[in-house]
Amino acid sequence: MPDHWGFVFAAYGIAAVVLFGYWRHLIRREAELAGLKARREAKRA
Amino acid sequence: MGRWVGWLAALALAAGLVLGLGYAPKDAVQGNVQRIMYIHVPSILTAYLAFALVLVASVGFLLTRRTEWDRLSHASAELGVIFTGLTLVSGSIWGKPTWGTWWTWDARLTSTAILFMIYVGYLLLRGMVEDRERGAKYAAVVGIVGAVNIPIVHFSVLWWRTLHQPPTILGPERAPISPAMALALFVNWIAFLLIFLYFLSKRLTLRRLEEEVHA
Repeated sequence: MPDHWGFVFAAYGIAAVVLFGYWRHLIRREAELAGLKARREAKRA
Repeated sequence: MGRWVGWLAALALAAGLVLGLGYAPKDAVQGNVQRIMYIHVPSILTAYLAFALVLVASVGFLLTRRTEWDRLSHASAELGVIFTGLTLVSGSIWGKPTWGTWWTWDARLTSTAILFMIYVGYLLLRGMVEDRERGAKYAAVVGIVGAVNIPIVHFSVLWWRTLHQPPTILGPERAPISPAMALALFVNWIAFLLIFLYFLSKRLTLRRLEEEVHA
């Protein structure tokens, strides 16, 4: 059977993009919300 | 703690990559395309864990009405959807060269797709109900009912005649797998578990922040 490395790299590549993308989403959203919370607290003070 | 788990996950992933793409031998029948197994199997095992946590947390929430359980259930469901999605995509890519098709309505594939849709529905439901408490209650019911599908997915290859192979691990018999392949699979499984734990801690923090900001 041919090796089909292209399929292997496609599967690993998609997994890497999804996991990295989700990680970036979590980090960005956390920073966004933490900033929002800090601004709100500063306003209240 | 989360940061350390994150670094450990990154290290384990790098080791898993080296083992899966280099150290593990080429499969005698399928050739190198079988290396997709090293992400496909850990993905579904992690998804099982995530949905089992949804079940436990949903029961916990319905019994106690404590927000901590709801947070855990929500975060686990989101991660379960991601890992099930990865399972479906990697399986489809593996299926094309080995079965000659990207998709077939086989019992394992169909039950996995249903599992995916149930928890996508779970997440949509949470977003649709404006009252957070009510949304959490409905979601908990879906989280409990949806878990019924986990054993169906896992045992589908034993209960029905399927194109998908029987389970390589967690099956009724000892898996006929070479030690080098088993090592690559095990390290990748650990790596996926660590990623899951890292993402879970991050998602729980995020959920807490969401509650504080939207309070």
